[in-house]
Amino acid sequence: MTTKNKITTLLLSTSLSLASCAIAAEELTVWAWDPNFNVAAMNEAASRYQQTHADFSLTVMDSGKEDIEQKLHTMLASGITNSLPDIVLIEDYNAQKFLQAYPGSFAPMQDTVDYSQFAPYKVGVMSINKNVYGIPFDSGVAGLFYRSDYLSQAGYSEQDMQNLDWDQFIEIGKQVKQKTGVNMLTYDINDVVLPHIMMQSGGEWFFKEDGSLNIADNQALKETLLTIKKINDAKIVRPTSGWSSFVGAFNAGQVATVTSGVWIIGSIKSVEEQAGKWRVAPIPRLKLEGAKQASNQGGSSWYVLNASANKQAAIEFLNATFAHDTDMYQKLLLERGALATYLPASSGAAYAEEAPFFGGQKVFQDFAKWVGEIPQVQYGMFTQEVDNAIAAEIPALLKGEPVDDILKRVENNLKYQIM
Amino acid sequence: MRLFHDPMFKTALLNTLTFLVIQVPIMILLSLAISSCLNSPRLKYKQWFRLAIFLPCVTSLVAYSILFKSMFELDGVINSFLLFLHIIDEPIAWLADPFWAKVTIIIAITWRWTGYNMIFYLSAMQNIDKSVYEAARIDGVSPIKQFFFITVPLLKPVILFTSITSTIGTLQLFDEVMNITNGGPANSTLTLSLYIYNLSFSFVPNFGYAAAVSYVIVAFAAVLALLQFKVAKDR
Repeated sequence: MTTKNKITTLLLSTSLSLASCAIAAEELTVWAWDPNFNVAAMNEAASRYQQTHADFSLTVMDSGKEDIEQKLHTMLASGITNSLPDIVLIEDYNAQKFLQAYPGSFAPMQDTVDYSQFAPYKVGVMSINKNVYGIPFDSGVAGLFYRSDYLSQAGYSEQDMQNLDWDQFIEIGKQVKQKTGVNMLTYDINDVVLPHIMMQSGGEWFFKEDGSLNIADNQALKETLLTIKKINDAKIVRPTSGWSSFVGAFNAGQVATVTSGVWIIGSIKSVEEQAGKWRVAPIPRLKLEGAKQASNQGGSSWYVLNASANKQAAIEFLNATFAHDTDMYQKLLLERGALATYLPASSGAAYAEEAPFFGGQKVFQDFAKWVGEIPQVQYGMFTQEVDNAIAAEIPALLKGEPVDDILKRVENNLKYQIM
Repeated sequence: MRLFHDPMFKTALLNTLTFLVIQVPIMILLSLAISSCLNSPRLKYKQWFRLAIFLPCVTSLVAYSILFKSMFELDGVINSFLLFLHIIDEPIAWLADPFWAKVTIIIAITWRWTGYNMIFYLSAMQNIDKSVYEAARIDGVSPIKQFFFITVPLLKPVILFTSITSTIGTLQLFDEVMNITNGGPANSTLTLSLYIYNLSFSFVPNFGYAAAVSYVIVAFAAVLALLQFKVAKDR
């Protein structure tokens, strides 16, 4: 290669990299967790958007949920905005915390997005006063997943599982344990999935409408704790600790049921040999006036940061895909089990699909039906703190202390926690 | 003032002190015993034993925590082993029971740090003049008595040093509880450091309060170190 040639290549490559810099200004960055679910959904949306917007590009940074929350906390608190992404995924329980603790950090989108097209419980989570932030994404609608093979060994049909309350659930659990030796469910003192599902099905949360604590007089919470005690007393639980041993327990066939948000499907389906053995039923009912057999656990939404240089581009992109593209939702549902909260998407063909893994049950049609029945609650800012305070009292509960005393103590303790 | 009323802070403080009071003496005695065994001239394959006991110290905190977590699962290696030996009849819920979770954490940190302290003792013991022991042997002093009346007093400065570093290390305990139990079950393994982390990064961020809690650690470390100096001097 001659010197002249070298210079030409150098110049050429410099101009190329300059050109790519110019394009990079349009490039959006996204933070999300779960490569098989959220990240995949975002990439799918981006590739669809690129068909009409050739100059659009997007990179998803995939890291753990806790890591993302922690990074976001640190950066927003420090006020340094240049390494923040354009779009970030936030779990619904924490949405109010971020929106209220860092006012002005997220872009309100009610002028662009038609929120009446989304499930109302989901929009409520992301609103402050009249401003609505972000685009609702997946639903955490809960179901009672169960192993039909264990249940039929114990003498129960699919019909028997449809309309349960928790007492009947425990009775079935005792039979299952006796006849098959398998525990009915896993239990982890620190776990919040089951209590959250139970309480929300009773239509209450830790906070009232105005954000004040709702613990001592919270009937749904009281009934939830009583039920948890009954389940533990019945000795039908397998103790677990942390997420991996929870997933490990049902993947290894050590429990007969899992009550969780619909997103657990991904983990359940990861064991091929169990294909056809699982079914889904509505969750059991709390013994409470007005309690529903539908609830929510988890679910998250996309938020645009106000400091982003590409704010408008990010909002337009989200609006064109997650708030309009019903076709995309069909694909996400079939491939990833992502149940959308975008209502027009729930009438598509994919919902009528029979799931072979669940013995041909039309699971998504069932879930879509239950989404509409989920009681709407205010998650507030401090869910994590309350979870922690309640977890600390669970041993006392299991020992048999009266629930009323425990709840009063929790409420008192929290007064010093939440300031 | 919020500090003195905060029940979660009290739990964290109590847990940290429990770890401190139980774990540090166990570890110091254990590493003393091991190092005096290793120092015995009759022991063969000394190098190998020394390496085996020191090796845990070079493992990454997070890596070994995750390993311990899987070993102490309900159907993990430890339970299978104990069941096999018929020491227990049904598996212990190591990580799901408040009491056993504490025990697990103590076992884990003891495993990780005993070798580290042992090295200090070993090098100090090799500095003790052999003639002292010889004289004692001629006078008919038993090896156990030699250990308590010659070795331990001569090692006093090193023992003081290791107990202060271990105390400070336990006060800062974070990686193990974060990865093995995440503070649970029911906050029974929540330490001060983990509480600071929660206050800053998982609860509604409150850096001011988190900083206040971290000052408590500083104060405790200083007070305990002073106390140990005092005790060591009186002897």
